Amino acid sequence: MKTDTLIELLARRLVPVAGLGLLASALLALSLIGPVPAAMFATPVPWMKLAYAGAFAGAAGWLTARLARPITRLAEPRGAVLAVVGAMGLLGLLAWFATPGSDRMLALLGHSWLICPWNVAAFSLPALAGSLWAVRGLAPTQPRAAGFAAGLFAGAVGACGYALSCPEQSAAFVAVWYTLGIGLTGGLGALLGQRVLRW
Amino acid sequence: MPVDATQYNFESGLKPLWMRAQSGDDAAYAQALSRIAQRLRGFLRRRMQSLPDEVEDLVQETLLALHLQRGTYDPSLPVSAWVMAIARHKLVDLWRRRGRRDDRHDAIDDVDEFLLSAPEDDGSAQHDLDKLLGQLPEAQRRAILLTKVEGLSVAEASQRTGASESAIKVQVHRGLKRLALLVRVGGTA
Repeated sequence: MKTDTLIELLARRLVPVAGLGLLASALLALSLIGPVPAAMFATPVPWMKLAYAGAFAGAAGWLTARLARPITRLAEPRGAVLAVVGAMGLLGLLAWFATPGSDRMLALLGHSWLICPWNVAAFSLPALAGSLWAVRGLAPTQPRAAGFAAGLFAGAVGACGYALSCPEQSAAFVAVWYTLGIGLTGGLGALLGQRVLRW
Repeated sequence: MPVDATQYNFESGLKPLWMRAQSGDDAAYAQALSRIAQRLRGFLRRRMQSLPDEVEDLVQETLLALHLQRGTYDPSLPVSAWVMAIARHKLVDLWRRRGRRDDRHDAIDDVDEFLLSAPEDDGSAQHDLDKLLGQLPEAQRRAILLTKVEGLSVAEASQRTGASESAIKVQVHRGLKRLALLVRVGGTA
């Protein structure tokens, strides 16, 4: 019965939060920035972004669910988050070295490196509110860590939505600026978690 | 938390009850909660010596939290660790609400509070002692009361009673021996 409860708890709270958060971020991105040209979906670029953000959301959601309990094992979900970030970092590094030297900085910075992390973070706010709500109903004994995990989860969900509007091409760009945006949301979650996640 | 015998016993007694409770056995649940409550009382009383009146409130609050959050227990981990994590969280929360800062560095993990917590004194020990002492001859009773209960030295007791020091010593010795005998006989009767 207890294992059921955990799965239920995940299904009942985090999955709807992910769905609604994704919807909100996609709507925000599409209405404020507009979709990328449809032709781009024939290339692997947007799919890579979606896969990265999706995998990140999965791993961070797992971590969040674990941190929502008084005592837990964190090694596996933490490892999963690091593995996702590491894999993307590796991909970004490969892309960096595959690019001819003179174009590298251009590919890394793209046209939107200054706004990309902020957009990811901003489009994550609905998901952040939702994920903090989801954790709040449970029993986190490390409010800051739980808030951070919930923030990473929300950031990854927001990045999924933003990927629909982001015209950048390089994996190096995604590895750095998307990760930074997700990290920003994580930091915000940690700050809020200290206050909001008391019970 | 040190894994000592007490901790182990608490866990091994609680776990089966808890698992039965989770599958819908109300009697087991009530039993598990009363064991937990007892443990929590010791744990919290030890740490809330400056707020003895709030111990029971916090015990109840923790029990309520355990009940509401029972879905957050992971059966692959010890129940007792889960219980104590929630209790610790509630305690920290109480200190934070009260703005207390001086207890922050209290090492809360290195003592087994179960061994340290004093059981409730219901006066029965005093009653038994009076009854036993009543069965001693007057001189022996006085010598024991003065030296063992009031804590006087043999010299002080000798001054108080007018008996010699060696007489006091003898009376105490005989009196204790007799008490031991009374207890033993009373125990078998």
